[in-house]
Amino acid sequence: MVVTLIRTLIIFTTLVVVMRLMGKRQIGEMQPFEFIVTLIIADLACIPMADISIPLIYGIVSILGLFLLHQLLSLLEQSGSFFKTVISGKPSIVINKSGVDMHELKKNNMDVEDLIESMRSQGYFSLDDLDYAIFESNGKLSAFASRDAHKKSSSLPILIVDNGKENTKNLQIAKIEKSELISFLKRENHNLKTTEIMTMDGEGRVYLKCKKTPYEILFYNLKEGVKW
Amino acid sequence: MVKSVVSMICVFFILLFFGIYENIFITKNFSELNDVFTALYEKTENESANKEDVLSTQKNWHNKKKYLHAFIPHTEIKEIDLWLSEAVTFVDEKDYKEALSKLEVLIELTEQIPKTFAISFENIL
Repeated sequence: MVVTLIRTLIIFTTLVVVMRLMGKRQIGEMQPFEFIVTLIIADLACIPMADISIPLIYGIVSILGLFLLHQLLSLLEQSGSFFKTVISGKPSIVINKSGVDMHELKKNNMDVEDLIESMRSQGYFSLDDLDYAIFESNGKLSAFASRDAHKKSSSLPILIVDNGKENTKNLQIAKIEKSELISFLKRENHNLKTTEIMTMDGEGRVYLKCKKTPYEILFYNLKEGVKW
Repeated sequence: MVKSVVSMICVFFILLFFGIYENIFITKNFSELNDVFTALYEKTENESANKEDVLSTQKNWHNKKKYLHAFIPHTEIKEIDLWLSEAVTFVDEKDYKEALSKLEVLIELTEQIPKTFAISFENIL
């Protein structure tokens, strides 16, 4: 029984560490350790129930062990911000007044497309619709909209440059050649390598965020008849 | 908060109590069984064991296994059942050589089974 308990402790701890390392994208609405408890508890209950050669007490002890750990972690979490940060992580401000914080995104194993996807589910389609975007420790996105959100873009912005790399598919949609993109960036005193994010809507409204500089809103003259 | 702490303490002590109880219960029962099987082994070695001796050993085992089922996987209990049944038959037929080999396995099992529940490196990993 004690062996079962120790094994439960080891598996639980391992999963907490792994889930924390995986970042927020892998987590639903629960805190990481709550997710782990949910994940394991079903199996723990199921195995001794299905296999009658295993004493039922094995399942009960493991479940009680998980309960004990869950309560302990909840208490530690409530006892101070240090433990809360270690156990559940802390919210990440991924968009601030300067634009998208790529460093914070990377820390959570996310990219711009993941951020845009989360924003879309909140009803925001343009990166400058938000003054602040925070990924909570449970993986949910909290959005603080700018005053004129939803008024800036009349069509869906598409990702043109992501972390210094052009999106060939979206460039084709916008009917922009790579050389045209490079010369546009050069005109604005930037280059492709230092461009972290560039999105463009169907009217040529560009959201440009380069390394170490705040985001800019620019306009690009789209070729005639180009729409999406 | 108070509820959480109380429930945590209760569960902790329940687990601690059952952990200690399980350890003592298994060690004690298998130690007794080991003594019984060893005594029978010695009698069989002297060719003085009879059917009553093995049947009383079997009865002793049946009384203990009712409770051991709660802590030990049933496959391991079944193993003792099978080896003991064979030993009964061989002693009854006065085939002491065969009976000794079965009893030797039984003694080994009573030594090995409690080890699988001990808090040791190989059991945890």
